[in-house]
Amino acid sequence: MEKKERNERLNGRDLINIGVYSAIYFVIVMALAMTGLIPILLILLSSTIAILGGIPFMLFLTKVKKPGMIFIMSTIMGILMFVTGMTWMPIPFAMLTGVLAEITYKAGDYKSLKAAVMTCAVFPLWAIGNYLPLFLQREQYFADRTSYGQDYTDAVMRFTPNWMFIVLVVMTFVCGIIGGMIGKKLLAKHFKKAGIA
Amino acid sequence: MQNILRKRGLLKVEGQKSFLDPRTKLLLIFIEAVIVLATAGGERLVVFKAIFTVLPFLLLVTIRKYKTCLIAGGILLTVMCLEYFVFQNVKGMAEAMLVIVITIVTRFLPAYVTGVFVIQTTKVSEFKAAMEKMHIPDEITIPMCVMFRFFPTVKEENESIRAAMKMRGIGFGGKKASKVVEYRLVPMIACSAKIGEELSAAALTRGLGKSRKRTNICKIGFGICDYLIFVLAAITMIYWILGVIMR
Repeated sequence: MEKKERNERLNGRDLINIGVYSAIYFVIVMALAMTGLIPILLILLSSTIAILGGIPFMLFLTKVKKPGMIFIMSTIMGILMFVTGMTWMPIPFAMLTGVLAEITYKAGDYKSLKAAVMTCAVFPLWAIGNYLPLFLQREQYFADRTSYGQDYTDAVMRFTPNWMFIVLVVMTFVCGIIGGMIGKKLLAKHFKKAGIA
Repeated sequence: MQNILRKRGLLKVEGQKSFLDPRTKLLLIFIEAVIVLATAGGERLVVFKAIFTVLPFLLLVTIRKYKTCLIAGGILLTVMCLEYFVFQNVKGMAEAMLVIVITIVTRFLPAYVTGVFVIQTTKVSEFKAAMEKMHIPDEITIPMCVMFRFFPTVKEENESIRAAMKMRGIGFGGKKASKVVEYRLVPMIACSAKIGEELSAAALTRGLGKSRKRTNICKIGFGICDYLIFVLAAITMIYWILGVIMR
């Protein structure tokens, strides 16, 4: 292994892996997003994504051996959020968190399990990009959503003062660690046995 | 055999261009996302919102998906009737429920129908060719192609696993609801990952792993329908921007 020079460029197999795991991840995200119409769950969305998304993401990380893969997956998530109607803000935000997640996993040299759990905590931060319009363009956000009814607007307003943003980041991070732990456990219990990890 | 397939729209005549360019379809998805899904522009764009709500249904007619079109259109009409006639008269819990139904249907259905149209009519190679013409790097397009190829697979696997687990009494309604995550999610991920590996082996034999530039047999280009949609999109954007400036 030492003699073989490590090829740092992403090849076809890596790109396909990104696609496959992005698809699995996004199906889970969409299933969870359907619960977001209930105000309290809308706020918890990034946390639930962090927990359940941790399972496929942990498995994805076992395939990641080169820089760039996590970043690409994060960017794709941002683009998909744009396509599903969350304004353009998730795209740059997802790229930023993608870089952070990339750095985290790189610190573990792309194989440390501890770093993988930490990456599971950093990666779901992209989901907070969906809330950015809620904080940055508060008035417009609610003006566009008058059809949701006053009760819905009030409920969301009550739960989202500006400091809530920090709380969300911390909460998502913690839930991400939990999700990573669950993922790690399931990895050892199921996926290693099935020969796919 | 070929004729039957062609009639059902399952087989495209070789060399025939689909009636919209993939790039136009991307623009359509973009517009649906901004105008209908994210309801940008608010009241001012209400006419355009109506146009872009109806347009996807017309597109479904052009590819002879009458059944989907009728079902989706029926749902949309019913919900719109509910919005205009019933909504004012209900209060409390019923109102909250109705709001949820109305927002899901009126915002998501047109975008969903557009998605159905685009996925039904775009071959992966066409999508790839369009992305290449727009100079989007492979690092983004290949994963995206794989993803769109993969969504139906994940859905199918999910259905089968749900059926299997239902027999064992594991489901959201059943007694063992707490096991749903482990017994549904894990097999779904495992199956999908396995299929993904096979898929990547298949793709590599077709030369995806080579760093050399790949060729593409799909011919894509703009026709009159494409330009019509461009004009419509441009008018929408100009009208919207004017509204922002005037304010």
